[in-house]
Amino acid sequence: MKFFRYLTLVIALGTSVTMLFSQSKEKFEQPILITSAGQSADVTLAASLCKKAGLNARAINRATAADVKDAKTLMIVPGFSSKGLGAAGISREQEMDRVKEVIAAAVKQKMKIFVLHIGGKPRRGVQSDDFNKVCAEASQAMIVVKAGNEDNFFSAIAASKKIGITVVEKIAEAIKPLEAACTKN
Amino acid sequence: MQRHHYTALAFLFLGVIVSAIASRDFLSMRAPDVLYPSRFVTKTGMLSGYCPDIHGTYGDTPVYYFESGQPGATILLLGGTHPNESAGFIAAAVLVENVRLAKGRLIVVPQACASGFTATDPLEASPMSFTLTTRSGERVFRSGARGGNPIHQWPDPLVYRHYPSGQQLSGMESRNLNRSYPGNPNGTFMEKNGHALLQLIKTEKVDIAFDLHEAAPEVMIINAIITHEKGSDIAATAVLNLELEDLKYSLELSPKNFHGLSHREWGDSASVIPFLMETSNPIQGRLRGATNVNLLLNGKDKFYSIASQLTNVRITYEPDGEPLSLRVGRHLQGFRRLIESYNEQHPDNTAIVENIPEYHSVIERGVGNFLK
Repeated sequence: MKFFRYLTLVIALGTSVTMLFSQSKEKFEQPILITSAGQSADVTLAASLCKKAGLNARAINRATAADVKDAKTLMIVPGFSSKGLGAAGISREQEMDRVKEVIAAAVKQKMKIFVLHIGGKPRRGVQSDDFNKVCAEASQAMIVVKAGNEDNFFSAIAASKKIGITVVEKIAEAIKPLEAACTKN
Repeated sequence: MQRHHYTALAFLFLGVIVSAIASRDFLSMRAPDVLYPSRFVTKTGMLSGYCPDIHGTYGDTPVYYFESGQPGATILLLGGTHPNESAGFIAAAVLVENVRLAKGRLIVVPQACASGFTATDPLEASPMSFTLTTRSGERVFRSGARGGNPIHQWPDPLVYRHYPSGQQLSGMESRNLNRSYPGNPNGTFMEKNGHALLQLIKTEKVDIAFDLHEAAPEVMIINAIITHEKGSDIAATAVLNLELEDLKYSLELSPKNFHGLSHREWGDSASVIPFLMETSNPIQGRLRGATNVNLLLNGKDKFYSIASQLTNVRITYEPDGEPLSLRVGRHLQGFRRLIESYNEQHPDNTAIVENIPEYHSVIERGVGNFLK
């Protein structure tokens, strides 16, 4: 039993150090392009957070590969919203294709990708988690509101892909880590 | 007369008594609720002032005006769009009986769908009324149906075709006020109601409008602020500020292609910025157990308690239930923060509403303490 306790401790410490290392290492340049993955209105909240953090960011809910070229960082705000998809007049499948295209364009351009999951529980579950997974796995850093990570969904991806993750209690608490993660212009 | 004739007469007599009692209960729902407006209400009118066709019908409903005398923004708040969503009606009643305007104007329509307060939905076992202990004693308020009373708009079509978009919905939605906008002055009873409310918005040059709702805990969009795209920045700031007070809201944008709803049609048809707020109300849910006044007031249901502990069920339900005071408190606090956010972004056209009861006070003291 003791062996397993030590093993757990070592893994936990290792993960934390990796996460801290990744967090401190990754810096995200501006301007930032914010886009949705699932068309939730959390994009508007993300834009508001970036504004409060003093970052040069613009939000395009349905950004395409063409929009990526003007930015240096792609910030994705994942989370499914039926109302949002209705507002955009697109299907879930079309949205997923768009998200994958934007990510591919960012990767091709060697842009860094940042995931901001701020919708908590309402942006988790069957409808949202496909978007959450695709975006989280493509990212170099994540800020996640705790209520959306109660089952360690994002932490597990972060640990397995060695991605820096910051878990905050409240949406507004994302401002400081956002400031810290982004280089000053 | 033979013996079986006496038995038949006895049953007939019993039937008459039961019918009389049931009829009295049924007709009692037509008696209007009484509100006691604050002394700061400067004018009281009727919705028919904006659409004479609804005068004298069950679509007509009181409109309360607070005018500060200082130029500023005009706010509209609707309660009772869906009369079975009691927190909306009671939050509006609390505003009518408490607030004062320091700047701008506030217009409140506590029972936007007056017709729906005269009936309950069949097969739902919903209570027809509930009693709150207020500052002056016990007061009874009606709880009605989701849509208008079918007696006032009969029969439901098989398919409801929304005017003017042509969007098709199930027939019963033809009596849903929140599928009727922008309304039609020559249309059905409910379309005229929708038209009257939009005329109010246009005539009074309303800048910011609220439509208060509730929904079942298992509905995806709950504890939410839904807005037209032109209100998204205002709502985003309000959501962040509410979250700092531990009031979680999700922000949702109004679908452009879903017609008839206040947050879509008001924003498309007028310069107003519309917001719709939802709270979690177990009495509307499919998982609920006993459906009675206790559930309406205390919002506590053992089946929702069990469901909230299951990881594969996504519901919005507090461990101590979703009492009416909490739901009204959320609406009032959301209203307050959205106005503040509007004022921040429109410094040249602000409105100041004073004496809105604080969320924590409403919960601690009970909503009845904020009614006369």
